[in-house]
Parts: sequence; C-alpha cells; structure tokens
Amino acid sequence: MKKEKALQNYQKKRTWLYDLKMNRWLYLLSVPIIIYFIIFNYVPMGGILMAFEDFKPAKGLFGSTWVGFKNFKDFFCGASFFNILRNTLVINLLNLAIAFPMSIIYALLLNELHLKFFKKAVQTIHYLPYFVSMVVICGLIVDFCSTNGPVTKLMVMLFHIKQENLLQNPAYFWGINLVSDIWQGLGYGAIFFVAAIAGVSQELHEAAAIDGAGRLQRAVHVTIPGIMPAIVTMLVLRCGMILQVGGDKILLLYNPSIYSTADVISTNVQRLGIEQMNYGYSTAVGLFNSVVGTVLLVISNTLSRKLTDTSIV
Amino acid sequence: MISIGKSSGMVEKTGPSRIIFDILNYGFMILFAVACIAPIWHVAMASISDPRMLMANSGILWKPLGKITMKGYRMVLHNKSILTGYGNTLLYVVWNVVVGTISTMVAGFLCSRKDFKLATPLTLFIMFTMMFGGGLIPTYMVYRQIGLINNRLVMMVPGLLNAFYLIMMKSAFEQLDSGYEESAKIDGAGPLTILFRILTPLVKANLAVIIMFTVINVWNSWYPASIYLPRARNLWPLQLFMREILIQNDTTKVLTGTDAAKAADLTSNLVKYCVTIVGTLPILCAYPFAQKYFVTGATLGGVKG
Repeated sequence: MKKEKALQNYQKKRTWLYDLKMNRWLYLLSVPIIIYFIIFNYVPMGGILMAFEDFKPAKGLFGSTWVGFKNFKDFFCGASFFNILRNTLVINLLNLAIAFPMSIIYALLLNELHLKFFKKAVQTIHYLPYFVSMVVICGLIVDFCSTNGPVTKLMVMLFHIKQENLLQNPAYFWGINLVSDIWQGLGYGAIFFVAAIAGVSQELHEAAAIDGAGRLQRAVHVTIPGIMPAIVTMLVLRCGMILQVGGDKILLLYNPSIYSTADVISTNVQRLGIEQMNYGYSTAVGLFNSVVGTVLLVISNTLSRKLTDTSIV
Repeated sequence: MISIGKSSGMVEKTGPSRIIFDILNYGFMILFAVACIAPIWHVAMASISDPRMLMANSGILWKPLGKITMKGYRMVLHNKSILTGYGNTLLYVVWNVVVGTISTMVAGFLCSRKDFKLATPLTLFIMFTMMFGGGLIPTYMVYRQIGLINNRLVMMVPGLLNAFYLIMMKSAFEQLDSGYEESAKIDGAGPLTILFRILTPLVKANLAVIIMFTVINVWNSWYPASIYLPRARNLWPLQLFMREILIQNDTTKVLTGTDAAKAADLTSNLVKYCVTIVGTLPILCAYPFAQKYFVTGATLGGVKG
C-alpha cells in the first residue's frame, strides 16, 4: 500500500520532460505502436465522412461532392431496405431464441454427466466443428444440401419436399443457417456457461440436497440462479450485436436466387461497396449499422442493470 | 434406493426417472458427438474412394467406397495453386505468430508500466479502437491509398496488433510481482532485457493462448484476402483456393495445364474432398494440444475476428 502511494506521488511529481529523459527507450518503442493505430484504426474513422459524400476515389475525401444525408435516404427508401433489415433481424432473433437457450441447456446437461472421462471426451469432440474453417463448413453445407446430397435426401424422405438444391430455394435458407450455426457452435458456445456452472457454490447444492431437492429442482433453483449473471452478460452482448450477422458465412453460402432471404446488412455493404464501388452509400449503411448497434448495446445494458443488477459496463 | 454421490459426498436418490434421464442424456451426448464427427469422417472416406462409385453415391460414407486410391491426394499435392496457397498460408501464420506476438507483448508491456507517464494515455488510445471503427469501406480506401491492395503486406501488417490480446497481455504483466523486475533493474537490466528475460517466462500461459488463437484464426481466414487481394492469385492463402473448389465448385481454374487433361477424368471429383482434408489436417493435429486453452480463450471474447 505504502509503496503504491509513494509511486503515485512520484508519478505525479515527475514532469513529462524528465519522464522522457528517464524512459527514452519506452517512448521510442511507443512510436511505432502509435503510428500503427493511427494508420489502421484512426484514419479509417475519419473516412466515415464518406457517408455524407458522393465519394469518388480520384477526387479524394475532401474533393468529393457533399450530398448531406442523401446516401442514408437512398438506403432507407431503397427497394431492398425492408428485406435486408428483416433478414438481419430474423437470422439473429432465430439464433437468440433457439441457439442461445440450447447452449445453456447443453451446459446444464453436461453438468449432469458423472463419468469424468466421458464428459471430457464428448466435450472435446463437441468443440471440434468450431475450429474447422468457415470455408470447409460451408463447403460441407453446399455438398450436403445439393440436389443429391444426404441432407436433401433426408428432408425429401421426412417431409416429402421437392428434391432440389436446397441452397437455391429462398424458403430454406434461414433453417439451413440456424441448424448449421447450432451444429458448429453448440459445444464451444457453452464453454462460458460450463465455467459459470463450475463456479456455483457447492454448499448451496448440498444444503438444497439435504432439504430434499432432487436433481431437477436443484438445477432450477440453485444452478440457474447461480449462472444468471453469466446468462445476462451474454444476452446483453448478443442484443448489442443484433444487427451484426457474421457476414462471412452468408457470403460463402448465398447466391442471387436466394438474396430475398439471405442478403443481410453486412453482405449488402460488401457487395455494393467493394464489388459495385458504391463507396458513399456503403459507408452510410455501415455507419447506420454501427450506430444502431451501439445504441442497442447501451439500452440492453441499462435494462439488465435495472432488472437484474447485472451489467457488463 | 440410496447411494452416496462420489464427487461431493452428497446423498443421492437414484429412482427410475433418474436412470431414464441418464440414459437419454448420455445418449444425446453420444449422438451429438457422432453428428460432429460424421461430416468430417465422410469427407476423409470420400477422399480415398473410387471416384466412379462416388459419383453414384449420395449418403454419408462410413468406409471408403471400392478400392482405396490415393490418386486425388497425388493430384492435389502436385498442384501448383494448392502448393502456392499452402506456402502463403504458412508464411502468414508464422509471420503473425512471431512478429505479431512479439509486438503485442512489447505494446502490452509498455501499457503496463507504472513508472511510465505515457502508459495510461496509450492504453486509452488503444482501447478506444476496440469500441469505434471506421468500417469496411473506409478501411478499404485507406489500404488502397497506401498501396496495400493486391500487395502481400496486407496479410502481414494490419493484423499484427490485436487490441484484445494487447489488453490481455497488459493485465497479465500487471498481475506479476514487481520484485523480479526490481532486482533485475538493480543489476542494470534495460526495459527490453527485463521484458524478454525476466517477464516473458512468467506469462507463458497467456502467450500460449494468444499464439494458439493466432494460428487458428490466420489459418482459417479467407475474408480479408478475398477483399484485399482480388487480383493477386499468387498471394492467396490456401482458404481462398479452397473456396474456389468447394464453394464455387470450379476446379478448372485450379487444375490447369497438364492437369486439365486429367480434370476430364473423374478424379477431379476427388479433389474437393482431398483439398478439404489437406487444408483441415493441421488444425485437427494441433487441436488436442490447444484444448486446455479453450476456456481462457472463450472468456476472452470473440475468437473468430
């Protein structure tokens, strides 16, 4: 304590010039790091101005014509606005409503396994799909959902649907995306909850057991309240990201015939911006996305603090 | 019936409902494990199957079809595109692990210094970038301006410093006992000597997490390369060639020259599966060793950047 106090005083008293002299090597090392973050993080932030311009690379950031909110107006009034927003929301809400509770239930079920080696072995296997590259995962999806693929065959057998390439039919995309997300992320997505469950007090469990609570009752009344802070934290984070769909998976899976259900904000930004060189418009869409994301994060964080006394900030 | 629970010494009831639940639970866990492995197993089996029989098949393979053949692998391992991709990916992985980890360590060290007046402002300066960013298009325009598009450096420079890893290193250094450092300082060691000789061995576990996730992320990454290297096939990482073969279903661009004649042969059918295995095997081999760091990594935040 004393030492810390002394250090603080020492730090306060020290002038910048003296510090520069004493720590010249540290200052020298800081220079490339500062330059790095300026070039790759701060300069692009200035590029947000492009959202209010009819940006032409040849004219540069300060030479292009100012158009005010025209890019935003084009986006909100555009023919695809409703579609993109709906797809983004539906894909994320499906994930939140189905995949998210599933990973909690999965963690609870895992906790009920009593053979230690078995638990470890299945966990290891369940993590595996998460570490396989997205290109390979999507390659598998493309292969399995093709006209003659095993998944298509199974669906035809079970639900008597038409035998076709499932990725060409807009009606199936949300389902394919959700199921593959669950398959890939269930094991790994639960790690956070598994760690939280391990942290629930053993004494509470024992007390409940002595009072005659069964396994199910203890899961509901001891474990779940115990991991509530973890659940709320994850939920808040997920709500903040409700407009951010992992664009790389959809970019690999979609094609023009299913744009009606598969095109989301991030893929739209990428297609219009990089491929069609509609820079100003794309920047505006990206900016809209991050502003709404930040607002949602703040709202959900405030709500969770009010309701459960848990917040991430 | 009453039995004593092994782990906590609790008294446990084992009624019939408990037994049914256990059977269902263990059954589900096994079933899901099979579901996780089956697709990858299928690809491995398909890659050594008879290509003619493979054409007619449409189920999940549990064992190779027909006579085992290595034709597909021979073709893939002699292919110039695949070898180029492999070489590039290896270069990007090694570079990012070595240079990236060292820079992250130095930056984290600087931010953790208590006797360094710039440490706090520098930390805030870096943390700000975790919350706000320019987005895809402005970043693209900056890269274009400084000539990084279709340039190998785009895969090697912008990813070097990761703000999340950096902050993690900073807190790891801060948690160390300052005694080690002070005695080194008395012996006349400079800041870099202190960092690499004294402190590095003490934060080995954190370093391992960063290295593991760097390897996996760089190995699996395809998106930045697809945007920033659109016309530089010779700089592409393996994943981009794999995308061409697996997703766009286009083996013609990869199988050129002497292979083209062979491509007419059904063997090209195997290429898809062989490439998947060749591109995934290193990750699968590293996986058992990396396992113990998963929990730390998961609580650290997003893994796939």
